[in-house]
Amino acid sequence: MTLQRREFLVGTAALLATPAIAQARPTLAFSAIPDEDATKLMERFTKVAKYLEGQLGVSVQFVPVKSYPAAVTAFRNNQVQLAWFGGLSGVQARIALPGSVAIAQGDEDKEFMSYFIAHQSTGLTESKDFPMGAKGRSFTFGAKTSTSGRLMPEFEIRRNTKMAPEAFFSRVGFSGDHTKTVELVASGAFEIGAVNFTSYDDMVKSGKVDPKVARLVWRTPTYPDYNFTVRGDADQRFGAGFTEKLKAAILGMNDPAILAAFPRKKFIPATNADYAPIEDVAKQLNLLD
Amino acid sequence: MRLPSSMPAEQALGQRRIGRWQVVGLACLLAALLLPFADLAISTPSPRAVFAALGRGFLEPDFRAVSQLGQALVLTVAIAFAGVAIGALVGLVLALFWSSALIRTVSLCLRGVHELIWALFIMTITGPSAPTAVLALALAYSGIFAKVFAEILEEADPRPRLALPGEGLSLSGLIYAKLVPSLPAFWTYFAYRIECGIRSSAVLGFVGLPTLGFELDTLFKQGQYGGAAAVLILTYLLVITLPLWLRRPALPLYVLAAIAYVWALPRLETSGLGLWTLISRDIVPAPLRNGAWADPAGWEAFANWLWRLISQQMVPGIVATLILGLFAILLTGLIAILAFPLIVRALTGLGGSVFGHVVLVILRSTPEYMLVFIGVQALGPSMLPAILALALHNGAIIAHLIGRQASQLVPTLRIDRPHGVNLYAYELVPRLSGAFFAYLLYRGEIILRESMILGILGIATLGFFIDSAIAELRLDRAVILIIGMILTTAIVDQASRRIRRMIGAQAVSATACR
Amino acid sequence: MTEPLIRFDGETLGYGAVAVLADFRLAIAPGERVALLGRSGAGKSTLLNAIRARLLVTGRTTALVPQDHALVPILSTYHNIYMGRLDRHSLAHNLITLFRPFPRDRQEIGALARDLGILELLGKPVDELSGGQRQRSAVGRALYAGGEVLLADEPVSALDEHQAPAVLERLLSAFPTSIVALHDVGLAASHCTRMIGLKDGQLLFDVPAGQQDPDAIAKLYAR
Repeated sequence: MTLQRREFLVGTAALLATPAIAQARPTLAFSAIPDEDATKLMERFTKVAKYLEGQLGVSVQFVPVKSYPAAVTAFRNNQVQLAWFGGLSGVQARIALPGSVAIAQGDEDKEFMSYFIAHQSTGLTESKDFPMGAKGRSFTFGAKTSTSGRLMPEFEIRRNTKMAPEAFFSRVGFSGDHTKTVELVASGAFEIGAVNFTSYDDMVKSGKVDPKVARLVWRTPTYPDYNFTVRGDADQRFGAGFTEKLKAAILGMNDPAILAAFPRKKFIPATNADYAPIEDVAKQLNLLD
Repeated sequence: MRLPSSMPAEQALGQRRIGRWQVVGLACLLAALLLPFADLAISTPSPRAVFAALGRGFLEPDFRAVSQLGQALVLTVAIAFAGVAIGALVGLVLALFWSSALIRTVSLCLRGVHELIWALFIMTITGPSAPTAVLALALAYSGIFAKVFAEILEEADPRPRLALPGEGLSLSGLIYAKLVPSLPAFWTYFAYRIECGIRSSAVLGFVGLPTLGFELDTLFKQGQYGGAAAVLILTYLLVITLPLWLRRPALPLYVLAAIAYVWALPRLETSGLGLWTLISRDIVPAPLRNGAWADPAGWEAFANWLWRLISQQMVPGIVATLILGLFAILLTGLIAILAFPLIVRALTGLGGSVFGHVVLVILRSTPEYMLVFIGVQALGPSMLPAILALALHNGAIIAHLIGRQASQLVPTLRIDRPHGVNLYAYELVPRLSGAFFAYLLYRGEIILRESMILGILGIATLGFFIDSAIAELRLDRAVILIIGMILTTAIVDQASRRIRRMIGAQAVSATACR
Repeated sequence: MTEPLIRFDGETLGYGAVAVLADFRLAIAPGERVALLGRSGAGKSTLLNAIRARLLVTGRTTALVPQDHALVPILSTYHNIYMGRLDRHSLAHNLITLFRPFPRDRQEIGALARDLGILELLGKPVDELSGGQRQRSAVGRALYAGGEVLLADEPVSALDEHQAPAVLERLLSAFPTSIVALHDVGLAASHCTRMIGLKDGQLLFDVPAGQQDPDAIAKLYAR
């Protein structure tokens, strides 16, 4: 708690101070979409910052933000140079800042999926088919521009039900992040929810949610998701070959403690083209012009 | 000669005047008709559990969090002082040129957009920093200050200016003969606005700026109700102790210290690039980008785009705003009329009135956005928590104002005045109904504006669609929706003025924030 | 004969649609000191306003001493007097003066205030002054403004019989042409060159000073 609050302030200060420091000694500022609660984010990214600092020889600051678009705009405005984006926010960022490149993704991210979870009172159980029995119940997405919490679930709902989510469900909400989605379904505030599978599995493993209360009812088909994306002018700022060095550092991450915080088994190379399917879906759902 | 012909007109005017209670009846009828369209569901299964947890939090507030809350507390106050002061200064300059239609339009746009929306918008360029909050507050408040300062200038004695050589038409004449004599009134209004500014500043935290609202949001989402209660208690203390430390002579000192403090914080990279991208690309409607404006097909696509945006988002958002506002206003009136006796000693006795004061102070001091936030946590994102929270907050404000008048009124009544319920029903309510309606109308305008904003919390008013557009980084859509927000504000102002004239209620200005 | 400074040729003067002076004829030449006499409501103030409007159009500079003084209550006596020349200084000069007067202006206004007996009051806000002190401040503002024509509406009405003649003489001697509404016939006769009597919106008499008919004066103030 104490650590986390202080880290936020330090982070905010870093966000503002970065350019001034950059003159003297290059600082790599990086951010991430706030897809889970703040405790989890701090745990995950303070470890990453320390690791990268050791590998790259520049100081590395993690800059926490409170919303998905804030991560994208901080990236575009050069307040951060590296970011851990979701599938859709990564696409948004690379459109907003031409020249920026996806360099790495988690092993799980090339075949990512969302879970549909349901409160036990619904009586729904896990099945291979889309849970048509959810019709007329309340439903929550995650953040409005989350890939696994909004984009792909909405795509699957429309594909399977031929209806808009607002028509199929009695009520549609946006919880803001995956942790909150699981909590809302576990408390019964929403009967159904769509959530990032790694977040859910992680919460089950750490005992934060009872899988009998908020139970898994359906897995979506897979799609590409999270990625590390870096600005195109990183080499200019940090020296020739920096992007390659950064990529190697991320791919070389093998400390189980860091990987578990994401949680990912390992990181593998990624390219912008890997996310073309996400861009297509986003355009279909009119989330991207 | 002229008199007889004017008589019928006078009579017609008299007939057109609608009674206050008829307006109330119409509003209730409308509300009953709209009831099926209002989303009043409780979507959480155990709202009592959340309230109980929060209650336990209040019994054992976690002030360990306070050491970290210190920074948020200081920033909340500093941002309020800096933002309100800059807003006042800009408002002053705008007020000096109030005769220009352009200036009047600019200031309508400035105050028609809530500071939360300004903050969401500015953050896309500058990131979530203290200067962003100052700027958002300054923009919204400059429009409000411009309007009120211009009204004060208008009411200033015109004679000193006319007595000057050349009738004092120069700017110097305006400053010496109009502005300077109005300074005391400006000062009073400014000091009062500071209080509103502190509440606004705290609420800005909910969208990610580093003030108290940020802490409350985070603590609530982590289920740390003890810490959340500590934040709420701090907010009360801040607002309640204001009269003690907000001394006028010290105000300039506070303002300077605040600006210096925010200035001394590590500063923002103000790359003109972000702003230029915003103007040249982001707010240009998507179908017209990349040179498509030169092509008739681009304009056709734009027309379709605009129509979809208006029919699918703006209109439903405005309708939901109006429905929510109507219910909240009616409930506000009900709460106010039932609650004001709480602080009238002649009705509730000494103990009762002290208790009443405490309840009303708590409800008045909690920013309505925070109340709605708590309501949404407990009841789920429907119109219900929004209506309840808006009505409790505004009802408490009106009950406080009316109750104070009632307390002054009681000793002036005849000696053999009735007591208890009869005093309430036969003396106080009829005598105070004029003031009651004036306050209710005035707060009504504020309720409608707040209703638009509450969309950010997930209720389907206009703010929801603006928040979504900004989340999708579609600032072009956000701009169109914000224009809808400004128009709604302007129309609500007009309608309120009409109703006020129709039922003969006097105007109330500066009784509360916004 | 010199061209008249101002001429009314059978005009109707008044406020908005309300006519106070009907079919009014009057010409005033440069260098005259005109006293306007009459009971209150006779049309003196209306005439002064009409003259001021006419002079403004023709580009003449005027200084005004209004009956209600029209001072700015929270400003000091100094600043109220200084306001007479707002139009002749730059905006920056005026703004700085609000906080710290310039020594040259201070000297000039100090000398003026000494003549009027309000030197020690310069630092006081005018709303702390007595009626007579305020009147002298308004006179001071007109003197500081200067100009071709003085238009004064009862400029010494609140002063005692010793101060009034001195202040009036100081005021009139500073302007080439003066038009002054007065209720004191004696003061008018001793300080002006021409006397005009107004009653119920009509010109009752118009004579050189000292040639006024006591009967006409009596009739002027009769009900």
